[in-house]
Amino acid sequence: MGFQVFLDIAVVALRFLLPIYAVVIVYQCYASMRRHRRPEKPLVTLELKGTEQQIPVLFWENSIGRSKGSDICVADPAVSRDHCVLLRRQEGWLISDIGSKGGTYVNGKKCRDRTQVLVDDEITVGSTTFVLKRGDEFQDRIRPSWFFSKASNKGSLQPYKLMLLITFFHLFMTVEACFTNEVQDFTPFSIFICLELVLWGFFLVSTYAFKRINFELEALASFLTGIGVILLVRQEMRSAYVQLIAAGIGIVLFCFLVKFIENPDRVNSWRMAIMIGAVGLLLVNLVFGTVQYGAANWIRIGSISIQPSEFVKVAYIFVGAAALDKLQTKRNFLEFIVFSAICVGALALMGDFGTALIFFATFLLIAFMRSGDFKTVLLALVSVVFAGTIVLKFKPYVADRFAAWGHVWEHAQDSAYQQARVLTYTASGGLCGVGVGNSYLKYVGASESDLVFGLVAEEMGVIVAFTIAIAIVGLAFYARAITTRSRSTFYSISACCAAGLMVIQLALNVFGATDILPLTGVTFPFVSAGGSSIIACWGLLAFIKAADERTYAAKRLSKHKEER
Amino acid sequence: MKRIMTRSFLILIVTLAVVAGMCLLAFRVVTQNDQWVAQPYNGHVASSNGLAQAGSITDRDEVVLAYTNDNEERVYHEDFATRCALMHVVGDNSLNISTAVQSMYRGELTGYSFVFGLGVPKSLRTNNSIELTVDADACKAAYEAMGGKDGACVVYNYKTGEVLVDISTPTYDPQNPPEINEDNEDEYDGVYLDNVMSSSYTPGSIFKIITAACAIENIPDIYERTFQCSGEYDIDGEPITCENAHGTIDFTTAFAQSCNVVFAQLAVELGEEKMTETATKMGFNKSFEVSGVTLSKSVYNLENALGDNQIGWSGIGQFEDLANPMHMAIMCGAIAQGGTPVTPYLLDSDSSLLQKLGVTKAKQSEQMLSADTATKLQELMRSTADYYYNARGLTMGGLNFCAKTGTAETGEDKAPNGWIVGFTEDENHPYAFAVVVEEGGYGISAAGPVASAAISSLVNNP
Repeated sequence: MGFQVFLDIAVVALRFLLPIYAVVIVYQCYASMRRHRRPEKPLVTLELKGTEQQIPVLFWENSIGRSKGSDICVADPAVSRDHCVLLRRQEGWLISDIGSKGGTYVNGKKCRDRTQVLVDDEITVGSTTFVLKRGDEFQDRIRPSWFFSKASNKGSLQPYKLMLLITFFHLFMTVEACFTNEVQDFTPFSIFICLELVLWGFFLVSTYAFKRINFELEALASFLTGIGVILLVRQEMRSAYVQLIAAGIGIVLFCFLVKFIENPDRVNSWRMAIMIGAVGLLLVNLVFGTVQYGAANWIRIGSISIQPSEFVKVAYIFVGAAALDKLQTKRNFLEFIVFSAICVGALALMGDFGTALIFFATFLLIAFMRSGDFKTVLLALVSVVFAGTIVLKFKPYVADRFAAWGHVWEHAQDSAYQQARVLTYTASGGLCGVGVGNSYLKYVGASESDLVFGLVAEEMGVIVAFTIAIAIVGLAFYARAITTRSRSTFYSISACCAAGLMVIQLALNVFGATDILPLTGVTFPFVSAGGSSIIACWGLLAFIKAADERTYAAKRLSKHKEER
Repeated sequence: MKRIMTRSFLILIVTLAVVAGMCLLAFRVVTQNDQWVAQPYNGHVASSNGLAQAGSITDRDEVVLAYTNDNEERVYHEDFATRCALMHVVGDNSLNISTAVQSMYRGELTGYSFVFGLGVPKSLRTNNSIELTVDADACKAAYEAMGGKDGACVVYNYKTGEVLVDISTPTYDPQNPPEINEDNEDEYDGVYLDNVMSSSYTPGSIFKIITAACAIENIPDIYERTFQCSGEYDIDGEPITCENAHGTIDFTTAFAQSCNVVFAQLAVELGEEKMTETATKMGFNKSFEVSGVTLSKSVYNLENALGDNQIGWSGIGQFEDLANPMHMAIMCGAIAQGGTPVTPYLLDSDSSLLQKLGVTKAKQSEQMLSADTATKLQELMRSTADYYYNARGLTMGGLNFCAKTGTAETGEDKAPNGWIVGFTEDENHPYAFAVVVEEGGYGISAAGPVASAAISSLVNNP
């Protein structure tokens, strides 16, 4: 009896420890992200020829034109509203005319495509001429985002220490999973060891092979991925391994994408191919798709079933974002709109309205970031409301879900079955949860994917559940803060929209399961079970990683050394 | 670049909206967690040993009605009849009686708290006891007086709101619950429903209280009028009948003798609109809540009435009229209290959780009647009790009382349901009551003795 009490106290203590621990980890990840920041100084300056006036060039891509929103505004009636773009690439500074009336001249020669500009070269737009100068003499001109108020070169925590923290969190979860009410054995440890091998392998490759100095973003995703994997241990061992393998593939995709988008111009040349590939994938899905949980968004190949729409999410961000000089062309935007229509239409045909909604919301984000036009966004919103009413009319199960919205307890045995259980078991878990593997929600269908917020809340408590949700929300703040120094608008747009997409997906998942919104059927980024989903999440994370200037900077630095 | 950065505020707005949603969710989690937990399907509380850690349940005199012994078995009151009588209030080991205390407040009984959730190991869990307002002896007395018939009996203190008697039949012994199968399902038809709370019956003549109230408020010369009853009266070519001809009578006598002819005519005269208005004001077509249980609605609805004949029938508690026993008791409480009732409650606990839920105390309800109408209804019901029920030997523990019986036809091949509703007029024993006995025959002979037994027990064993 006495020993039992002792053991029980230990178990409860562990349960209380985990939520605090989770908060600490997420806090540390973001604290480190906030620290890692270089001082923000202008890169070069443009000297107005004939005067001493110097204009700082703050960004890697700068629009030059008459309009007020231009990065370098020229009050010259001979200059077009959007005249040209001055951009920095690995080979140096380039200038690109974006369809101005008067043309752009470098040292008196009219330039067609991107033309290199060297220090002391003259750039002529309209009747104004600039001279490119070094930017060293200028003091800090950009106010850094509040996010980076504690800028410093050192992280608040060494990356390996952060990884150790996360490993111990996963270990504690595994220990809990070993001693559940129903079964007590040590099988969860096998998955724990595999998980840590994958995560630490990733860490070592990133640090020593890629020589990246920061790892917080990856650490955060690893933390969430690990939670998702260990939650599956007491549901079905096989799916835990599948999830882990998918996470491994996702990590490889992440590394590949970060490398692939190193050069934003290379991305542009692949754009068409990616678009065709994505449309092809959706078409294959439409033709050969099998129905699972009410939507025909699965393709079965042997014993593996994949969800192509998840991968199309990554492709979608690719197509949506572009470098500043490409962004301004009509063709680029038109292609994006056509592609969006195909994606949303195909998903609606499959009956996957949750994912269609995610795509549509992302479309709004991208379209607005590109055009800045509120009217377009409103128009698109109105059209989707129309589409939504038609869906409600023809898809009775969707209408049922809407009818049960806000009335879960009246429909606890029919259309709001899942939501009612999520709420009940969320409350049953209390602040600290009933312990990994002890939940009752796991007996409800889709608990490990669509309802995973409830599963986490029941097994690990609402504190952990909210903490991992906040961790995803934080990505949006981080992505936005980091764009001030992105090397191209491609990165700014892709990072913001990738983070926005994940936040929207999170919202649909959490709010759908808890009856705040009348929708279910989307996954919780990184945590929900689902191979395709986790691969796509890691893929999306690559865009945020790439938006950070230092991702590539460290490597370039070492390259320079070699050259010397 | 600058423009793109500025436009990224849209992402910020979306994110902030999501954060707002999370705050809403957090708020709901904090404020509604007790309701969320107390669901019949909740595996943490409904599993076979869900009550192994539960605290005890006692009645108003701290008689233990259910507790968990050292072997983690749930033990109910030692007396068989008391167990059966209180089964619907206390509940059994299962969660079948969804309105019972052991179902609705199992979280409280088993020591649920939001901080610890339901995952605390048994050795560390503290449980809570719940005290009820009911009187076990009076419940037993009422149960035995039901004589094996199906029905419901409720008595509550109309001044304080405490529910003293709440029994529903058919019932079973919670200590040895029967296995209900095809052979015995008729016997246990509706056994999981607490008829007091969750059933509504055809009211019959007790509905004349509502018709009388409507007449008092809308017909100025109602007390000066006289009526003719020849035992039968045609409205729209179809007859409304009385058991015998009442001859020439006034309003008070017509109420006391429960004359169908008079009250059907009054209902037709008052019309659909006024009748519905009065009925709705008196709580028909509305949901009441008693200690967290939403009562089955009483119904007065003339939308399907084809003509005056059916309006006439509706005025004497037939047609599609339905009455819920607890609501009838509340309505009598309102008449006794001068028009505004005190809402009954069943749980008497200091528990902060239950107090937060607002199920442990009486609440003031909406006014049902004007004070004047209430006084006039009191007079009508008092004279009915004085001249007719006392004469037939019906007493309520020797107290003065006001009452109305009803005998509701429910079908050609069934005996009528017997009703009695009313209240005692005594400073120390202010009880409102409602009894219905299914297929019991006359209200006075079927339901009267049940109310009498319950109230006598309350008066004699204070």
